[in-house]
Amino acid sequence: MKVRRTTSISAYIPTASMADIVFLLIIFFVLTFNTDVDRASRVTLPKSMEREEVPKKAAIVSIDKDQVIRISDGEETSKAVGRAEDVLSFAANIVATQPGKPIVVKADKDLPYKIVDNVVDQLKQARVSIIYLLTDQKTVESKK
Amino acid sequence: MEKRRPDPSVFTGSIADVTFLLIIYFMVTASFSATKGLDFAVPKEKQSDVIETEEAVDVHILPGGVFIIDKQQMPLDKLLDYVKPKLERNPNKPIIIRCDPEAEYKYLVDAFDELRQAPKKIGIEIKNISIPTQREMEVINATMGGVF
Repeated sequence: MKVRRTTSISAYIPTASMADIVFLLIIFFVLTFNTDVDRASRVTLPKSMEREEVPKKAAIVSIDKDQVIRISDGEETSKAVGRAEDVLSFAANIVATQPGKPIVVKADKDLPYKIVDNVVDQLKQARVSIIYLLTDQKTVESKK
Repeated sequence: MEKRRPDPSVFTGSIADVTFLLIIYFMVTASFSATKGLDFAVPKEKQSDVIETEEAVDVHILPGGVFIIDKQQMPLDKLLDYVKPKLERNPNKPIIIRCDPEAEYKYLVDAFDELRQAPKKIGIEIKNISIPTQREMEVINATMGGVF
């Protein structure tokens, strides 16, 4: 005996929870949102296993692989400086106005050390109290 | 004849569209930039005790990632084994990292990182790691007579 289906199932995709998921994604992006003040410089960072969190709004001195030095006080977008000696006046200004503010050195891993050394020396001469050497996370694979 | 009232409702059909646009904005503008690194506190002037270099462990980095530790060439992963007995005798033993001007910067970070991992690897914290700049070494050489 044939049984006839009396009701038909309507095909639809439930979209009621989509707004909830999207809001959760927005909350994630809002919380992790971080404006990069030093987007201009293309730097391949050296890798390290030990890493400390750099304070937000720390001043940045970046040196890319073409040895172009850029500075940022952590608030404004970085700008290129002509010589390493300009870092001294920049750092001295930071120390004078915001003592204790750390300065992050963001240097390309393949740079000759003398370039980084010169910049670090300027920072030391300006009496910067804490210097960070920015690194990427070293993994077991990258260690091999 | 009674008029049929419209159902009171808030139109939510476009919320998903608006929020997707917000997501796209945040995805495009967000940057997951590196925000971690190795920190080193610069000694204050008052603390500037002269390091007795004959007692310090000297880590000299040459171009190509050659590590000369106390005038002996050794791989970096042997550095902590080498300094462990010295640190057990003197926990304040200074370690000086010197990098050749032409050596790549990454090798300095490697050496510094290796020493910072001492608590995990050998159970001793190295309290005194020094990375003098070229100018500082020249000053020390001038005042102490060719130490480096």
